[in-house]
Amino acid sequence: MTTALTRPPLVRSSDRVIAGVCAGLAAHLGWPVKSVRIGMALATLAGGAGLAFYAWLWIMVPTADESARRNARRPASPIAPAVSLDPAFSAGPHSAAPSQGSPAAAPWWGNPDAGAFAPGGVSGGPAAGYGSSYGAPVRPPWFRVRSMRYGKEIMLGAGLLLVAGIMIARLLGVDVPLETLIPAAAVLGGAAIAWMQLDETRRAGLVDKTKADQAGGWARLAAGLALVVAGVLVMVSGSGSWEQTWLALLASVSVLGGVVLVLLPWALKFWRDLETERAGRIRETERAEIAAHLHDSVLQTLALIQRRAGNEHDVVRLARAQERELRSWLFQDPGKEAGQLSDRIKAVGAEVEDSLGNAVEVVSVGDTAMTESHEALVQASREAMLNASRHGGGTVSVYLEVSDGRTEIFIKDRGPGFDLQEVPEDRLGVRESIIGRMKRHGGSASITSTPNGTEVRLGMPALQPENAEGKS
Amino acid sequence: MNNVQGTGIQGTGPIRPATPVRVVIVDDHAIFRSGLKADLSESIQVVGEAATVEQAIAVIAQERPEVVLLDVHLPGGLGGGGREVIAGSASLLATTKFLALSVSDAAEDVVSVIRAGARGYVTKTISGAEITDAVFRVAGGDAVFSPRLAGFVLDAFGTAPADIADDELDRLSARELEVMRLIARGYSYKEVAKELFISIKTVETHVSAVLRKLQLSSRHELTKWAAERRLL
Repeated sequence: MTTALTRPPLVRSSDRVIAGVCAGLAAHLGWPVKSVRIGMALATLAGGAGLAFYAWLWIMVPTADESARRNARRPASPIAPAVSLDPAFSAGPHSAAPSQGSPAAAPWWGNPDAGAFAPGGVSGGPAAGYGSSYGAPVRPPWFRVRSMRYGKEIMLGAGLLLVAGIMIARLLGVDVPLETLIPAAAVLGGAAIAWMQLDETRRAGLVDKTKADQAGGWARLAAGLALVVAGVLVMVSGSGSWEQTWLALLASVSVLGGVVLVLLPWALKFWRDLETERAGRIRETERAEIAAHLHDSVLQTLALIQRRAGNEHDVVRLARAQERELRSWLFQDPGKEAGQLSDRIKAVGAEVEDSLGNAVEVVSVGDTAMTESHEALVQASREAMLNASRHGGGTVSVYLEVSDGRTEIFIKDRGPGFDLQEVPEDRLGVRESIIGRMKRHGGSASITSTPNGTEVRLGMPALQPENAEGKS
Repeated sequence: MNNVQGTGIQGTGPIRPATPVRVVIVDDHAIFRSGLKADLSESIQVVGEAATVEQAIAVIAQERPEVVLLDVHLPGGLGGGGREVIAGSASLLATTKFLALSVSDAAEDVVSVIRAGARGYVTKTISGAEITDAVFRVAGGDAVFSPRLAGFVLDAFGTAPADIADDELDRLSARELEVMRLIARGYSYKEVAKELFISIKTVETHVSAVLRKLQLSSRHELTKWAAERRLL
């Protein structure tokens, strides 16, 4: 059962003929796609076993996209936890699995066949490390965890075993009352399909996912309902004529319709109450979060300001720092990718502001992902900001523009200015940290200084056009 | 002074008029109003104050000030804040100029109030001298751009100059872009003029033109940009 750790997770491939099952399976097992497909076709000839296996994989294995999406959020597939490296399993004293710690192994799964697709759990290989983060409480005996978490699989397996048993019994000549068993199974199966989505994980998914998923949920509900109705019909019609059944059906539908009509207003009212209550709860949570944030930041700063009221410099510094922090919290664009160049420049500006006390105003247009040369740019601008703040003695204006991948940064102060020629040779600030650094990384730097202020211009040409996100 | 293009009357720096500029301050924080009043120079006469949208519209209609210092976020009305005040005083826009004053530097706040008709935007953290300067400028019919507003403009209109074929409202000309860039870099109008070897008056013309485009343009990218930031 020990399988290679480096095996890619089992996901349905986008390179597909029908549903990408074979290609995905081949990628997972490291076999040629063609042989997997031929094998599947051959197995189909053997009493449709291949077809059943294919359908099973189709249902249980997510596509690569789904897998990635769910990986980011949570383990949605009930199979996943079984194969993720969950400490509850690998360290569990009762673990019967000989291959402790192998994410590809399904410790409790007796059926060796199952092992083949078990790792396909949505969070197979890569997510193994997250095992403990979502693992149910590590404490309880693992068999309890198992019975709760994989109940669905066990039930499904038991159902299949039952079917197999009945078929074998029939082959052996035992009389099985199929006429009652099949409708009953249909009713049970329909109910299971419809209820499955009430399951916690599904519900969580339905709340925040796209309409497509919701449509899927409705389809499942409809399918389940149809199965149940058909099952009940077959069961009932077995005892009477079709005519009677239709009449009964008509009567029950009318009664149902009447009941729905009467109860609808109540249901709607309950639903609305529920919605209002939920909205209220969400607001309450939000309020609590805001209160917590204000307490942690603003109130603390105000207390500090009161204690240092005598020191103007400190008060200004504290107020600026708090303003900056609050601003970033209030106006931060959640859709924006973090760690971009403008964020770094702003962070550096904040740092300079904190250490020297003069305001640093950063204006940015466009943005780009960080690269090594951009890091040099950030360091050079930091040096320029420090100089501007130290010698300029007022507000430092920083302007960042990314356009077609080309990055330019301007750092301006309103100090008395200086002459680069007169800066002693041993002072490395400007010469090395700004001009030299920019040149080494393929950029440019120039300094214009007048008695009314100094401006440092830093430029970095587009090295990797694919990173360019500047507006044009 | 009522020139829509806003070329100003004298064209050299902030205009110090002979008579004090009549100003109404609209802000819901009394502390901020009194602080601001103390900060403004003597050549600015505060003739009224208001704390809500309704009060503001009433005071502006009654006093007919030259300039309204208008907070973007205001209680009352339909929740539209400063935008609603400008809309409510639309008939006075020819004589009364609005200067948006905000503690927020979020693009949606700034751009929405500018598009409503404000002639400029400054943050509340700037000094009394700077605010005084901005009031004179707005009273003189000019637009007041902070570096941040210039940054928004560049972001919204893009940093590539207009083709000749383009609708003139939808793009900035090469010169306007240069002016906006310099303002975003922290240059004063005077410094911009010196840097580009043009007169201050020309700078003011360019800035007013940009303001007009910002207010009137229905440029696809601008609406998209605004929609992305939930401005529409």
